[in-house]
Amino acid sequence: MLIDSKLDSLDLTSLKEPVINLRSQIQHHGILLVLQEPELKILQVSRNAALALDISIENLLETSLEDLLDPYQIGRIQARLAEDSLDFINPTKIWVKKRREDYIVFDALFHRNSEGILILELEPAISEDNIPFLSFYHLAKASINQLQESANLQDYCQIIVETVRKVTEFDRVMLYKFNEDGHGCVLAEDKLESMESYLGLNFPESDIPKPARKMFLSNLIRLIPDTQSEPVEIFPPLNPITERPIDLINSTLRSPFPCHVEYLHNMGVGASLTISLIKEGRLWGLIACHHQTPKFVSYELRKACEFLGRMIFGEIYTREETEDYNYRMKLTYIQTALVDYMSQEENFIRGLIKHQPNLLDLTSAQGAAICFSGNYTLIGETPKQEELNFLVTWLQKNVDEEIFYTNSLAEMYPDAENFKNIASGLLAIPIGKRNYVLWFRPEVIQTVNWGGNPNKAFEINQDSGDLRLCPRKSFELWKETVRLTSLPWEEVEIKAALELRKAIVNIVLRQAEELAQLAADLERSNAELKKFAYVASHDLQEPLNQVANYVQLLEMRYQNALDEDASEFIGYVVGGVSLMQTLIDDVLAYSKVDMQGIEFASISAEAALEKALNNLRRRITQTGAKITHDELPTVMADSTQLMQLFQNLIGNAIKFRTEKPPEIHIGVSRSEDEWMFSVSDNGIGIEPRFSDRIFVIFQRLHTRDEYPGTGMGLAICKKIALGHRGNIWVESQLGEGATFYFTIPVKGRERERRNGRKTQNHLFGRR
Amino acid sequence: MSVETEEKRKIIFLVEDNKADVRLIQEALKNSSLPHEVMTVRDGIEAMAFLRREGEYSSAPRPDLILLDLNLPKKDGREVLAEIKTDSKLKRIPVIVLTTSHNEDDIFHSYDLHVNCYITKSRNISQLFKIVQRIEDFWLETVTLPSEQ
Repeated sequence: MLIDSKLDSLDLTSLKEPVINLRSQIQHHGILLVLQEPELKILQVSRNAALALDISIENLLETSLEDLLDPYQIGRIQARLAEDSLDFINPTKIWVKKRREDYIVFDALFHRNSEGILILELEPAISEDNIPFLSFYHLAKASINQLQESANLQDYCQIIVETVRKVTEFDRVMLYKFNEDGHGCVLAEDKLESMESYLGLNFPESDIPKPARKMFLSNLIRLIPDTQSEPVEIFPPLNPITERPIDLINSTLRSPFPCHVEYLHNMGVGASLTISLIKEGRLWGLIACHHQTPKFVSYELRKACEFLGRMIFGEIYTREETEDYNYRMKLTYIQTALVDYMSQEENFIRGLIKHQPNLLDLTSAQGAAICFSGNYTLIGETPKQEELNFLVTWLQKNVDEEIFYTNSLAEMYPDAENFKNIASGLLAIPIGKRNYVLWFRPEVIQTVNWGGNPNKAFEINQDSGDLRLCPRKSFELWKETVRLTSLPWEEVEIKAALELRKAIVNIVLRQAEELAQLAADLERSNAELKKFAYVASHDLQEPLNQVANYVQLLEMRYQNALDEDASEFIGYVVGGVSLMQTLIDDVLAYSKVDMQGIEFASISAEAALEKALNNLRRRITQTGAKITHDELPTVMADSTQLMQLFQNLIGNAIKFRTEKPPEIHIGVSRSEDEWMFSVSDNGIGIEPRFSDRIFVIFQRLHTRDEYPGTGMGLAICKKIALGHRGNIWVESQLGEGATFYFTIPVKGRERERRNGRKTQNHLFGRR
Repeated sequence: MSVETEEKRKIIFLVEDNKADVRLIQEALKNSSLPHEVMTVRDGIEAMAFLRREGEYSSAPRPDLILLDLNLPKKDGREVLAEIKTDSKLKRIPVIVLTTSHNEDDIFHSYDLHVNCYITKSRNISQLFKIVQRIEDFWLETVTLPSEQ
């Protein structure tokens, strides 16, 4: 009975990992003896030994190896066993004398298992000749010559399978490579014409489960000469010394797991030979040889195949490395170029996108985005900024690592389906908490050929009442269409992205340091400037006062002794000094605007206006000015400065009046981000060409005889507006009145400045 | 006794580094009807030596009023003020800061140090004269101060 639908809910891991090595059974084509060193007493035997050696099991268990072999052989074996490595003894031909005076010859293999127990495996020698080594050598040499000529990995693999098949004469030889997720793919195949091809098929991970892979790592070559044969028990089942079943993990004769045998049966395999291909301690792949009928392969030939496999695989490995290496070198070059561009450009983001090669080339992506300080810089095919915003938020919540990559974003982030044609694949590196570099790859609809439905690789058989996994029976081509998936990100690309991340982090850190340094320098020089302005204007006052005072004293004391000219001249001196004093006062006021720092608070603009009007009261009454205003809002500003702003603008409106009484209106309107205030009058107006000039310090459009003043008023206004992160400008035509506008951000200035009073306190230390 | 006291000339102690300003204040005081003597030093160190009768000032009189400028060489007017106001023998002498500075911090700080009053020098001479006259009237005639040994 099949219960496929329930498969998902079952814990497959426990079923996938049967304890293979504790099965004390061997294949019937050889016999196994467990020996006790040093006397080589026989502790356990495989049950088929009795027949092969023509001695009863009971007798065998009472003897030692010495009783089976002649003293010459025993001496040699004992000498070799004393050595560290058993490589020199394996394989050894031994001959055992039977009761009827004839000998049987075995290929003997010694090994010690994980518990240090000596195990001897005997396989009847098929031929007494060695394998024709020379013919094998020629084959191998011819193959290697071919290899050197062939260009790509595919051809390499093909040559290997052909050579192995020629040497072993199996019906089918396949070269099988494991992918990162564990499933295998047939890269090359050589077979009988009549057989169905497995070339290009993928096999699910469960076909060769993890424990089996571990075995392949320790047993580089594995033969099952007859998949139909009954396994042979070891007797006694428990080792008399350890009192446990004997560990046969390194045994060549060890029986395959029944599930595997079943799998082979379902595939129609009568005999199999498997050669492990190991790369950096990992199982890279297998050479799998299948025969439709039982087939024995002698130890020497097996060894020869293993050798061939290793040698040729060494070539594959190199070739694979070279292909990798070339790509890696290319990426290293691109990476170096990007780092150069980044350091050349003032803004590193420009460096990543404005040159060739650019950010896209680093990972062979079709699109990339740099999200920095809330701004997006896009290159190539990318999702919309809105979509990126959500994606980045998702990344912030879900990714803590230095790098994140997937070739199927929609699998974890379902919204990605909306932009699958652009970004089914995502590679992301966070820079700090909120900044990201993202690369995108589009969906590639792929067809993966499976040797049978991978989701039904195992069926659960419930016949006998208990659950048992059975391998599937069908190995026919099963096509799977993979959607919402991009080409995978290669390891080298991921490494390159990580390297780039390091470089960006360095640059950002350096820039932040430079910025901090710059800010500190600026703050210092600003503070010094303010101090200078204050001290200069203050110290300038004293001699001026002196001049003023003494000239006045002269006038007072000698009024009668001076003539009219003298009085006029004294008048000019007094006037000049007084103007100078006003100028200094205004410079001081100008430097004070930010010297005291802006103290943001939620204040009533209406109150500030009232105060300003109060200060101007005398001039308003004198000129008969009519002042109206809108209802003014509450704003985030410095109340004193806002008051000064109104006072200066309204004061100007009164000052630059025509002969008509001034009419002044203060208005306000709001946009999304800011308040816009206006002060409009019916005065003399300003020629538009002067509309910038009037805000510059000391710039005046009139002589002092026409309109008194220092030319500081509007400069102070501008400083206040800018200090609030707002702006100020004028709209006017000569003779048609003027409207001054200034803006104040609704939210105030984002970053509260450090209070200027601290700087000011240094002034007290002045000597 | 009381007659003697009335006839005793008041000592006005002026601490001012600028000769011109010294002269100007002296000019302003010339018009006064009150018998007085203006004694002047030009820096903060000398001011303290005078008040504490140290060195050449061992026989210096105790002033009835101190007019103090803030910006002085060697020892700042602010330090002089602080020293006077923490010295139990000197702290009851009225101290008037007379300065060109109208910096708010200076004003706050001076009053924190218990100045008796803070006056900004006027740029207009007749006003300045008026101010000095008023100081004299107020602090030397109107006000009752504790009698000191």
